[in-house]
Amino acid sequence: MVARLAHPRVLLALGLFLLGVVLAFHAWSGPSDAMLVPRIVLTLWSGVALAITLVELSRVTGTGSWPLSTLPVLMGAVLIAAIAVASLGFLLASLPLVALTLWLFRLHRPLPMALGTLVIAGGLWFLFHHVLLIRLPTLLTSGAL
Amino acid sequence: MDIILAAVGDAFAWQALLAIVVGTWAGIIIGGLPGLGSVVGLTIFLPFTFGMSTITSMALLIGVYCGSVYGGSITAILINTPGTPQSAATTFDGYPMTQQGRVDEALGWATFASFFGGVLSCVILIFCAPQLAKFAVNFGSIEVFALICLAMMCIVGVSKGSVMKGLVCGMIGFFLSMVGSDPITGADRFTFGSYTLSSGLTLIPVVVGAFALSEIFVRFSSRDDPGAKIPEARLRLPKLGEWFKRWIELVRGSLIGSFIGALPGTGAAAAAFISYATAQKMSPRRDRLGQGEPDGIIASESSNNAVTGSSFIPTLALGIPGDVVTAMMMGAMVIHGITPGVRLMVDQAQTVYSLFVVLIIVNVAMLILSKPSIGLFRYLFRLHQGYVMAAIVMFSFIGAATVRGNPLDLVVAAVTGILAYALRRADYPLAPLVIGMVLGPELESSLRRGLLIKRGDFFELLTHSGISMALFSLLALLIVWTVWSSIAQWRAAARNQPSYD
Repeated sequence: MVARLAHPRVLLALGLFLLGVVLAFHAWSGPSDAMLVPRIVLTLWSGVALAITLVELSRVTGTGSWPLSTLPVLMGAVLIAAIAVASLGFLLASLPLVALTLWLFRLHRPLPMALGTLVIAGGLWFLFHHVLLIRLPTLLTSGAL
Repeated sequence: MDIILAAVGDAFAWQALLAIVVGTWAGIIIGGLPGLGSVVGLTIFLPFTFGMSTITSMALLIGVYCGSVYGGSITAILINTPGTPQSAATTFDGYPMTQQGRVDEALGWATFASFFGGVLSCVILIFCAPQLAKFAVNFGSIEVFALICLAMMCIVGVSKGSVMKGLVCGMIGFFLSMVGSDPITGADRFTFGSYTLSSGLTLIPVVVGAFALSEIFVRFSSRDDPGAKIPEARLRLPKLGEWFKRWIELVRGSLIGSFIGALPGTGAAAAAFISYATAQKMSPRRDRLGQGEPDGIIASESSNNAVTGSSFIPTLALGIPGDVVTAMMMGAMVIHGITPGVRLMVDQAQTVYSLFVVLIIVNVAMLILSKPSIGLFRYLFRLHQGYVMAAIVMFSFIGAATVRGNPLDLVVAAVTGILAYALRRADYPLAPLVIGMVLGPELESSLRRGLLIKRGDFFELLTHSGISMALFSLLALLIVWTVWSSIAQWRAAARNQPSYD
């Protein structure tokens, strides 16, 4: 039973159920006018997620695993870069992200990687921010970088 | 008449024509790259539209959309790998023709059938959308609520995999649309004290995360590199006599695609397979289907491209998107000042007619641009996958960051991307999530307005008018059918494939 609970499908369904329950409690404790529809939606969410959890539990056999390899590194980099944009500006946050993405997708030769990083991150930033004047978040208040 | 002439003038402005050429050409290329498809194409091009006028920006996006649906057929024929799921049925006869040395002919049929299906569905859109909008003017809050529930149930009911998983994704979408200030009382909801959350979440960062970023994670985890060898190919369009012999197949495929495209939740992939299945029963050359018969390509390609026009019928006339692509197009329309729904035909008639003309020009552009695009695939497939993925990460970030200049949107896109990866791995359909987020605000406001009219009585809400009773009855029937069929599906699955490892 414990082994079944550790299966990623069950964990995901359980996570959705728990999230639904927490949000539903929040909705039921809020003002009744504003929370009318969220209460219906979140109660339904929790109920359906519980049913999915039970179905998944009945179907899985082993602990199962999803081949993650270095995927969490890529996911973490995307999340960190997204958070860093607000304080570092778009260019400085995206340069290491693009370099890491190229490296993780097995582009390990230094010159193509450096050129790719410059063209994809720097080039697109320059195109949008300075040529098309579609402003991206900046580090300096002058807006140059 | 003046409005129509002005609309034609808008659509033929040089900026709009340039946008059509660039969008369609890029759409063909993106659609042809396996795994990318229409949503990623729209994600890449959305940020470019922020400095453009309404018609120019929509011309670019419609070009990308229609081009990408056609582009999927090129790699389906050349290397037996459909660029988009919509073109999967094209491989059945397209690749055998390539193996028989008839690649030029196969590409020609795919191109001509795509053009024919696209144009016919535009004509249907031009006639049907205004009629549907005229009828929909009779809809009040309660009818709109019933219609949204019905559309959402259709989308959940035909979701890939489990209906329950579709339903929970729809609820997540509804919930995401409710974060921020309540539109009626102004009270903060689910902001947890955060000032930045009180302005709510917007659609584009969620779509960027759910489709573009999660696609990168999926591609990374599978390390699926389509490094295939592309055969030498040139386009040979069918001669007049050749297509005249197969006109019934062209019209039938286009009509099937147009009908299915107008239904919420079905989409081009379903249209292509249904059309192919119909051809297997009705084509005079059905015994040769699957062995390199052009009728198979015609059935698949005319129907999947016919969806591009007709999917705009519920989007423009009712404000209800049929699938993720039209949901994203609807989000882009709102950004550019077009409000899809029953008032659109009255308030912004010129814009709507311009969009109709743009759709027709896009299909003509697709026919013209197909020849130079096919040659490019030989070079594109030599490009390292890392460059494509890194560029998609950058475009996703730019798209999310520029929608309203709020850095929170980037975090929303990243978190949605990670969650969407997990959902995709566990076979949860993502379309209900996105469409739930689009329809959520209208669902909520129509329900609350309806309850105000009926003084909070839910039963009176159900029996408000003939239209609402008919819609709620259809909804009840659909729920019963969905529950019934999913129980049957679950029992069959339990018998055949009792467990996951």
